[in-house]
Amino acid sequence: MDIAGTHQFAAPRAAVWEAMLDPASLQAAMPGCETMDPTGEDAYAITIKVGIAAIKGTYSGTVRVADQVEGESYRLVVSGQGKPGKVNGDATMTLSDAAGGTLVTYRGDVHAQGAIARLGNRLIGGAAKLMIGQFFKGMEAEVTRRAG
Amino acid sequence: MTSPTLPKLIGARIKRREDPRLIQGRGTYVDDIKLAGMLHMAFKRSDIAHGRIVSIDTSAAEAMEGVECVLTGAQLAEFLGPMPILTPFPAPPHYAVATDTVRYAGEPVAVVVATDRYVARDAADAIQVEFDPLPVVVDPDRALAGDPAVLHPDLTNILGQTGSNIALYVPAGTGFDPVAGTVDNSAIDAAFANAEVVISQRMWNQRLVPNAMEPRGVVAHWEPGKDTLTVWSSTQNPHTARNTFCGLLGLGQDQVRVIAPEVGGGFGAKINIYGEDYVACAVSRRLGLPVKWIEDRSEAFVATTHGRDIVADLEIAAKRDGTILGLRVKLIADIGAYEMLLTALVPTLTNGMLSGVYDIPAIRSELYEVFTNKTPTDAYRGAGRPEGIYFVERGIDMLARELGMDPGELRRKNFIKPDKFPFMTQAGNQYDSGNYEAALDLALKNANWEGLKRERDAARAEGRVVGLGMSFYVEICGIGGWEHASVTVHADGRITATTGTSPHGQGHETTFSTLLSGQFGVPADRITIVHGDTAMVKAGNGTLGSRSQVSGGTAIMNAGEKVKGRMAEFAAFMLGAEAEAKADELEFVDGRIQLAGTPSIGKTFEEVAAFAYMGAGNAAGAGMGYPEGGAGLTDEAFWEPAGATFPFGCHIAMVEVDRDTGELAVKKLVAIDDCGTVVNPLIVEGQVHGGLAQGIGQALLEGAVYDEDGQLLTGSFMDYAMPRASDLPRFELDKTTTVSPHTPLGTKGIGEAGTIGSTPCIVNAAVDALSPFGVTHLDMPLRPELLWRIIQGGAQ
Repeated sequence: MDIAGTHQFAAPRAAVWEAMLDPASLQAAMPGCETMDPTGEDAYAITIKVGIAAIKGTYSGTVRVADQVEGESYRLVVSGQGKPGKVNGDATMTLSDAAGGTLVTYRGDVHAQGAIARLGNRLIGGAAKLMIGQFFKGMEAEVTRRAG
Repeated sequence: MTSPTLPKLIGARIKRREDPRLIQGRGTYVDDIKLAGMLHMAFKRSDIAHGRIVSIDTSAAEAMEGVECVLTGAQLAEFLGPMPILTPFPAPPHYAVATDTVRYAGEPVAVVVATDRYVARDAADAIQVEFDPLPVVVDPDRALAGDPAVLHPDLTNILGQTGSNIALYVPAGTGFDPVAGTVDNSAIDAAFANAEVVISQRMWNQRLVPNAMEPRGVVAHWEPGKDTLTVWSSTQNPHTARNTFCGLLGLGQDQVRVIAPEVGGGFGAKINIYGEDYVACAVSRRLGLPVKWIEDRSEAFVATTHGRDIVADLEIAAKRDGTILGLRVKLIADIGAYEMLLTALVPTLTNGMLSGVYDIPAIRSELYEVFTNKTPTDAYRGAGRPEGIYFVERGIDMLARELGMDPGELRRKNFIKPDKFPFMTQAGNQYDSGNYEAALDLALKNANWEGLKRERDAARAEGRVVGLGMSFYVEICGIGGWEHASVTVHADGRITATTGTSPHGQGHETTFSTLLSGQFGVPADRITIVHGDTAMVKAGNGTLGSRSQVSGGTAIMNAGEKVKGRMAEFAAFMLGAEAEAKADELEFVDGRIQLAGTPSIGKTFEEVAAFAYMGAGNAAGAGMGYPEGGAGLTDEAFWEPAGATFPFGCHIAMVEVDRDTGELAVKKLVAIDDCGTVVNPLIVEGQVHGGLAQGIGQALLEGAVYDEDGQLLTGSFMDYAMPRASDLPRFELDKTTTVSPHTPLGTKGIGEAGTIGSTPCIVNAAVDALSPFGVTHLDMPLRPELLWRIIQGGAQ
């Protein structure tokens, strides 16, 4: 399933870029993220707790940041395995200057496997949207916090 | 063969004796079986559709309290071989639990055995499996070309090809010599060369999930002291289950007892013997303890075989006057990842139905069955016949539209005429009997066809989206070989009969007790019908293919006739001194066995029954004073029809599509079904009602939808739409009666009929409704979104 959207930050591009690639900020902003441990360069093992209907459960998986173009774009590759099945996400984040701050555009897709595909597929789009919304909200708080 | 007496109760509307216990929740299903020390199984299933198993970590599961053992496919394969199938074609090995590669999402990879069902399930969730993913095959056209992967690279198929996804290739029709394997296309080529009009359409009879009300279940109990295995299984054919268990476990048929208690529907999917059943048997034997597995609803969507899923490229050659010259079809059946018991057979039945009810002089069909990374298919109500009839009936309807002919008149023009039976079709089936015009005339009359046309045209003039559809089906019943029955009249005059046709909702107890009641002249409530237990029923072939009345009912009557003859001899012996009656002059009426024409000379049924066991004046049963042949009233019979029976019918529907929502409402549905002699109209109508509902479900609602990764997206009742009462009109049923020459009562079979006729009828009506928008064909299911887009002027 394809996902795409934008989020407007009221902060300069460099500040947004740094926050979005900072592991501590990433962990703080990621909804339900319980642990996040580095496993290599730009790669982390994570556990995330999701509380949405048929996809409810604790997922363990990986987050990887790839294809970085400094200050402009990167790919976020997420994979999580839980009791209801497996979810894989792959999104490209693009940052651009916008009036009063920075515009982040994301585009990618989400794939589900197992019971989660059978039972929760119709919820995944909504859940992804909800969690992306929470992520950006969290990231806004991180940008503000980092600006001190 | 003795000729059974025609029971007087034939045609009586007798209520189902099964219903009170089922409605009151007093039925015993497999999940109601509880044995001391019983363990519970749960399966870890693959989340991905295609991949090699790299590793399976069972340590967390094994460490859980209450877990007895965890077995991977490779561990199971050490004592459980690949599963048997009943088709004769080359097939890949198929283990109950995958040993090294998974080929569909939901395929088992390990089994947990635990003291509690919930522990077993939690432990299965704790198993970690690492896969090396392989490319996933979901599209049957691409599968045919081996793209993007081959599921069974080591299989050499019937064409001698290795490294192909083609499981089976079967040509059929005019000029095909099955012995030599040669095909002569001259007749079919000439038909198309002479055609004045050719209809050409690709159509898809989509994949369905059977969704029996009761999911599958098994309890296996190996008794080490006795070396016997008792299995309770939600199955349509306990004897077949027993025989395959014996084959795979290396046991004798005297060592294994299979019991089918109440079975809550099957629709063909419970003909199969599944991996979970074999595993339960093997694990029980290994542990020496009873083991239970009950499928949950979510599992059933992927773990129980699917139905249908055939794509047809159909061409019809005809003259402008409507005479059909030839029919050419290429069929691709998407059979999923493996071959189950009858998987390969089912689409071949489609091949055989392509003549429909029509006298088509030249037919060529080519069937390809292909492997894809999906749940395997197998029989589903109608099993191959609905698909074939759907294609033909859609094609006929397109031809009528192309020629501007009334669809009823085009059909009438091409019917096989009543005096041509038995009729060998070019598709290769010999139809036993038929009078199609009579069914058409009754359907036209009951539906008021001309009036409906005017109603439709008037509605259209008002801007409403209304259409009329017709379909005409024929189907094959009475297949599945012989059937067995036994009848015993006890010393107290009550009767026990056994049947090898094991019901799963069809009302055998009612129908068969009615037959015997008429035969013996005693009330049906004194008769018990025993079924579904291989220890009590000596032999059987199960309930499938609408065979139970045709084969099972006849076997019961033949066994009854033997006992009746013996009972008449006892009665004659008893009456001998006073009346010199002869056995063949005695009649069985109202609980008496008496001399025809002189009812005062006779004995009660009970008197004769008692005499048969106890002898004259000897209550201790010392056996004095019997006629030749000795004591007892019990006998049995095997019976097999000389040929298949071909019931048929005509369905007419009127539908209306809501312009604003695209929802289709079936406004009227008239069904004429000819299943030969009707024993119990209530049961026949019940079968037709259920069939119509399922057929309408396929036309409008149901569909197993897979994504490009081979994930089943319609995997719950949230996304897989089942028909509900509110989706259905009042069914207007009627019948014609064309008896079969193959059965003593003239019965033909009715279990699948409604499913076959209603689907094309509804689609034909929908296409008619949308024809003002330029529609000539629609693929099912006819979801509101599809219809709404057409009405809104968008592309299909």
